[in-house]
Amino acid sequence: MKKNRSLKKLAVIISDHLFKNGINAVLSGGACVTLYTQNKYISYDLDFVLLSHMDSKKIKKVMREIGFRQEGKYFKHEGTPYFVDFLSPPLSVGEEPVKEISEIKEGKKTLRLLSPTDCVKDRLAAFYHWNDKQSLEQAVLVCNNQQVDLTEVQRWSRNEGMSQKYEVFKDDLK
Amino acid sequence: MLEPLLESGKKEKILLYIYTHGEAYASEIANNFKFYINTVQNQLLNLEKGGVLYSKLKGKVRLFGINPRYAFKKELEALLEKTLKFISEEEKKKHYRPRLRPRRTGKPL
Repeated sequence: MKKNRSLKKLAVIISDHLFKNGINAVLSGGACVTLYTQNKYISYDLDFVLLSHMDSKKIKKVMREIGFRQEGKYFKHEGTPYFVDFLSPPLSVGEEPVKEISEIKEGKKTLRLLSPTDCVKDRLAAFYHWNDKQSLEQAVLVCNNQQVDLTEVQRWSRNEGMSQKYEVFKDDLK
Repeated sequence: MLEPLLESGKKEKILLYIYTHGEAYASEIANNFKFYINTVQNQLLNLEKGGVLYSKLKGKVRLFGINPRYAFKKELEALLEKTLKFISEEEKKKHYRPRLRPRRTGKPL
């Protein structure tokens, strides 16, 4: 694997390889922010959420086929600075399940990831529940670079009981 | 009470302890119930891996709490709240009713 491979190319290779080997997983977290903001925010952490429970031995075997070795909780590859983590199902943003999964195509390979709107919800969940200002900044960055359904984000925020904090986010968007 | 669901009485106690205390660390829970520390640590790590708990370092101590981003947090808490209703007052006093108000440094009691 090339040392300077971009996060996008790497994510596409991993996602496609997982899918072809029967592991249904969706990229979430900071890596989606990197992809949706054309690297304005840099993440070295590729979090894949499994859509169903999977034997960890199978994940280990499939990841080894593309050169990744398990180091503690994470998978690492000598040729890249990135590390990969697998999170347990369900794929959710706050209390709600994720209903639509986005795809990015690179040649014949496909990356499955959160949509820009769900990516914003995912970052806002960290701001809402942990008061993490970096996550708020990332949510704003995604909104400034992608088409995001703010009516849906507002509805979701209300459902999370976070209408007041949504107003903070809305002020930062201006 | 939740043993058939959780497949472990220890896991039930650990979850109830964290739920009633907000946050807790492994040796605190192990000492409280006189469990082996390794058993508690394994349960905590499995619950964290499953997204049920979060953990954070405070000084040299790793604290665990119920993950506010866990999709079934509300339902889990409702289950734990109901479980508490079936626990004797004595057991509740012993394990699940922490002192939350501060205690000034040097105060003997």
